[in-house]
Amino acid sequence: MTARGGPAPARPLAARGAPWVVLQLVLAGSLLVLFVLPLYALFTYAPPAAIGAAARDPAVRAAIWLTLFASGIAVLAAVVFAIPLGYLLARRRFPGRTVVEAVVALPVAVPHLLVGLGLFFLLIPGSPLYRFTTAVGIPVYDTIWGVVLVMVFVSAPYTVLASDLSFRAVDPRVLEAARSLGAGPASAFLTVSFPLALRGIVAGLLLTWARAVSEIGGILILAYTVYPGGPYNGPVTSTISVLVYDLFQNGNLKEAAAVSSLFLLIAFALFVTVRLGERLGWLPWGRGELVP
Amino acid sequence: MTRWSVERLTSRLERFELGPVDLALGPGEVVAVLGASGAGKTTLLRTLGGFVPATSGRIAREGVDLTRSPPERRGLGYVPQGLGLFRHRTVERNVSYPLEVRGRTDALRESRALLERFGLSSLARRYPASLSGGELERVALARALAAEPELVLWDEPWQALDVEARHELSVVFEELRAAARMPVVVVTHDPGLAFSVADRFLVLRAGKVTFQGAPGTLLERPTDPFTARFVGYENLFDRAELGEGVPGSLGAWLLARSGPAGIAFPRPLVRTDREPQGAWEGVVRSARPTPEGGAVAATVGSLSVALRLGPPSEAPLPALGDRVRFEVDERTLRPLGAHDSGDRSGPA
Repeated sequence: MTARGGPAPARPLAARGAPWVVLQLVLAGSLLVLFVLPLYALFTYAPPAAIGAAARDPAVRAAIWLTLFASGIAVLAAVVFAIPLGYLLARRRFPGRTVVEAVVALPVAVPHLLVGLGLFFLLIPGSPLYRFTTAVGIPVYDTIWGVVLVMVFVSAPYTVLASDLSFRAVDPRVLEAARSLGAGPASAFLTVSFPLALRGIVAGLLLTWARAVSEIGGILILAYTVYPGGPYNGPVTSTISVLVYDLFQNGNLKEAAAVSSLFLLIAFALFVTVRLGERLGWLPWGRGELVP
Repeated sequence: MTRWSVERLTSRLERFELGPVDLALGPGEVVAVLGASGAGKTTLLRTLGGFVPATSGRIAREGVDLTRSPPERRGLGYVPQGLGLFRHRTVERNVSYPLEVRGRTDALRESRALLERFGLSSLARRYPASLSGGELERVALARALAAEPELVLWDEPWQALDVEARHELSVVFEELRAAARMPVVVVTHDPGLAFSVADRFLVLRAGKVTFQGAPGTLLERPTDPFTARFVGYENLFDRAELGEGVPGSLGAWLLARSGPAGIAFPRPLVRTDREPQGAWEGVVRSARPTPEGGAVAATVGSLSVALRLGPPSEAPLPALGDRVRFEVDERTLRPLGAHDSGDRSGPA
């Protein structure tokens, strides 16, 4: 049985032709192998004891905390700024929209070191923006703000694009029904558009977070070492990506592998939790959708 | 109760122009908007609903101008094509929605009565994705009524319903009209629905109103091939088709009686008494039994004519290739596209 509005449930693989199944398995499987093998190598190089040691190391903990904290702020910034931009692109017609769409996609395509350099020149001491940021108490060089700035730059586009697509997918007739039933534009957005688009937006936010924590290029230039200040008042440290880079550069291969593995476990746990939450209906999005 | 008046209303959607439309609606009146695809039926509903801005004219409720009011202040229950249900909300939270957005704290409790009335109580906690077509229609209607609208706009109900659900819903529709005395503007492709619920028909063609009046009038005087087909005329010929007929043929006979857009007439009865006078002869191309007796398609010269059979007891279903005789009652002929001449289109 297929109900209206939902996708047809997936057929078991065995129900399809054998050569077709083999082709799918080989193609999809190759990519999965590519994803998994390097991670497997990391784990074999770092025995559980080393990972445990890394987890207890205050320097590693500080770096993990900084990375999670800064990426959390980047995700919040995406919620505040990227979702409205996505909504605007999806629902409004305005001159220059194509240009705006291209600008949004640009940070994804630019090499990371270029991002750092661009921000460096923009905020170079003596520049108006430097004077402004220092005056209002958000200096960027070697502070958490620098990390956040780079993270937002490289990661927010994922949320803009996901929001754009998700809002576009909301049937305008459903919105019109909401309006005629008494909802004003803002109310219709909050009760209908946003909840319906939420699942896609959350997928975008997850990508934003993933992209933020994996950033290194721009951070190397703007905030190689992070000193306490602003919302961050932990010890002097750096992001996980920079820490691992440092360890590798200094020949501490085993420790680099251990720290990497530890962080991978944390990221993996987060992704699995969100997916599981969606599937089991703990999370407020995706409700009412057909589960095969 | 409420009276609505729509005067010289026009609107534009990209390159499509609608109107001018005049429409007066009293309590409990049901107007069916008919027209071919792209005639502007949905655009008319969306203009009334405030989703397409009016370019001129006026929409008023009890004399109060609503032409520029936003959709949420018009007092409408709009059921769009596809129903527009909220798939992220349960049935009860779909129905309570209009009350929730009005800030009513008793929204859920209030909506229970509606759920009960529409037989939805047992489905209250289900999501729309798991409901059948008929159930979804009832949810959409219950939700529209929860807004306590002064006018219901309904785009293509019945669209995805099976026979049982259609029947069930037409009962609900009658109830709604009798109890709530609410005017309804319904867009439909379904003649059965249109004839069973509508007090008036409004026919659109390319954005213009070509007919507005009682269903019976449209039946007697279809304005064009579309309306003729819609109200159930199964014999429709344009002048080009008829022009091929040789003198003395059925084609020539019909051509002499047709309007600028051709002619329509209902299925003539197949004569079983073989009266030769004034009767045409055709060769059977298909025949199927119907509750009334049977439906036959026969070729007469270059024309294919739809015929009907009397009660099964009177005559057996003819076989393919059989010759049948029939007579076309001149009083049933409907010239199409003609400006009302009045003499040939009297009641049959």
